[in-house]
Amino acid sequence: MLQIRNLRVSVDGQKILRGVNLDIQPGSLHAIMGPNGSGKSTLASILAGRDGYEIEAGSITYHGQDLLEMDPEIRAREGIFLAFQYPVEVPGVTTMYFMREALNAVRKHRGKEELSAGDFLRLARQKIKPLGMEAGMLKRAVNEGFSGGEKKRSEIFQMSMLEPTLGILDETDSGLDIDALQVVADGVNALRSPDRAFVVITHYQRLLNHIVPDYVHVLGDGRIVRSGDKTLALELERRGYSWIVPASGQAAAAGA
Amino acid sequence: MPAGIASASLYLERFSDLLDRTAGEPSWLRQRRERAMERFLSMGVPTARNEEYKYTDLSALAGGERLLGLQQPGLAAIPPAYVGDDAKAVWFGEGLAVAGFAQAGVRVMSLREALLAEPSLLEEHLGTIAVPDQHALCALNTAFFPEAAVVMVEPGTLAKEPVHLMFGDGMGGRHPRVLIVAGRSSSVRIVETYSGAGSFWRNAVTEIRATANARVEHCRAQFESTNAYHTGVLQGLQDRDSYIGSFSFSFGAKVARNDIGTRLDGTGCECSLDGLYAVRDSQHVDHHTAIDHAAAHCNSHQLYKGVLDGNTRGVFNGKIFVRRDAQKTDAVQSNKNLLLSDKAEVNTKPQLEIDANDVRCTHGATIGQLDATAAFYLRSRGISAADARNMLTYAFAADALDRVRVKPVRHHFKSLLLARFAREDG
Repeated sequence: MLQIRNLRVSVDGQKILRGVNLDIQPGSLHAIMGPNGSGKSTLASILAGRDGYEIEAGSITYHGQDLLEMDPEIRAREGIFLAFQYPVEVPGVTTMYFMREALNAVRKHRGKEELSAGDFLRLARQKIKPLGMEAGMLKRAVNEGFSGGEKKRSEIFQMSMLEPTLGILDETDSGLDIDALQVVADGVNALRSPDRAFVVITHYQRLLNHIVPDYVHVLGDGRIVRSGDKTLALELERRGYSWIVPASGQAAAAGA
Repeated sequence: MPAGIASASLYLERFSDLLDRTAGEPSWLRQRRERAMERFLSMGVPTARNEEYKYTDLSALAGGERLLGLQQPGLAAIPPAYVGDDAKAVWFGEGLAVAGFAQAGVRVMSLREALLAEPSLLEEHLGTIAVPDQHALCALNTAFFPEAAVVMVEPGTLAKEPVHLMFGDGMGGRHPRVLIVAGRSSSVRIVETYSGAGSFWRNAVTEIRATANARVEHCRAQFESTNAYHTGVLQGLQDRDSYIGSFSFSFGAKVARNDIGTRLDGTGCECSLDGLYAVRDSQHVDHHTAIDHAAAHCNSHQLYKGVLDGNTRGVFNGKIFVRRDAQKTDAVQSNKNLLLSDKAEVNTKPQLEIDANDVRCTHGATIGQLDATAAFYLRSRGISAADARNMLTYAFAADALDRVRVKPVRHHFKSLLLARFAREDG
């Protein structure tokens, strides 16, 4: 589904990613962990198509297409969804209006009929309920005045509406209490299917008790320095990162 | 600067014609016209040398010949009557036509009708609220207005339906005039629309008197041709416990200058002066507001928002006067601008003169561009760059538009706004 090859990225002349390689198959869930500043969020942003990064080398192929050539909205319509680490407040635009526009743009692209207002509302109410949010939230401006937990749940709501092929969660667990974490995890688990893949970026192993990964990768100093299964996350929780990621300077020679 | 010789003689000639045409007018009105004419001749059309017109030079209107060259508003179609089926639309031709207007407690009259029906009310208000002495363009209108729309709301009347005064297609002439008098404890909503094709200069004056406990919600929308000059004055005078809400929607004209003000003359008054200007290409739009807090315990709110594209310039100048006796004044002013182009420019300036010591006056101004992070967020959900831009532009203007109290008008403004800045190219 997605192949990242030797991806090298810099921002303002500073090298952030120094040759990332990653293959993602349909149905799989990859956790990407790593210390602060290791490039996790940069990788997420690049996948979603955010401006401001210089791709120095490498490629990303998504369903056989060059992902880096696609505009962000095309990526979204082709099935990529990024749950933002810091969801953006958009005063003046209601969640309802925003999601209907987004969903219909996506549906149109996928050759489906646009949803009528009534069908959209029924669907939205059905999707929002398990996330423990009131339907009234749909009438509020996008993320405006939302608590941290509400913002993250809203991201999961949007994801469940747009039904992506590749869901990327950028530190969606950060700052959540255990109840909210469970709600978010349930939302993600409900979406897991054989043709849908996830990349879960997190700083904490805790999330992976609730969303069980097939693979765990450790990003250090701009490269994937180790890959393993879920036991790697537990080991990281116990031992920290220092044994595989040097505190400063160069990445460990031992890659996986 | 006084009017030049050529234009002065032209104006005098026209004024003499007008006096002939309006020979039947009462002497108080003729005196007011003559005094206004004198004031105009001594002041002339304002140019950039006048501090109040620093950014809006109207000298193109000063030459008599140029003035004659500017046509009456042209014959383009009137925008559809979007105020809604319930609204009572009134069209103003040169001679003023009233189209099927009937609403209990609300009278819309021509100048002639009003002079017959309410001579003393007219003498009390017409030309005394918007005072021409210091304002050349108000003076010019006062000297020359051929007709007037006079709206009288009987005391205690709560008018359900808005009154729509339409000035388009040569209606109301070059100097449209409106007088609104809201009787004690009455309530009324009034929408004025100004449109027209071709190149012309329209110089409109509206006066509003809100008597004790009256409530007037006024909306003035201007979508004239981008070859037109629009100058407009809106002046309110408020008795105790009254409310005037003004919304200025400035969308058309090559150059638009609006002077909007009200005097809070009794305790417990409130006013909201709000507006939205949305311009593109090389349009120029200027709002000067002036709120005169003359009595204690009054509140004023101002929210003016601007969306500027292309090579446009926007000007906002907000004066707030708080007189010595106006204790417990609460005045809030905000001007926010969204620039959609690198070449658009805004000059914004609050001007507070406070002589009382127990007051709260706040003001703020912002000039910004579309939020790139928000645009990316919307696009990352599948929304096109063009749609994201439209959504954010509309979102910027939405809280100002919310202050338009007549729903169909609000929706009309919204659709105009979205159509104006829509870009298909992304």
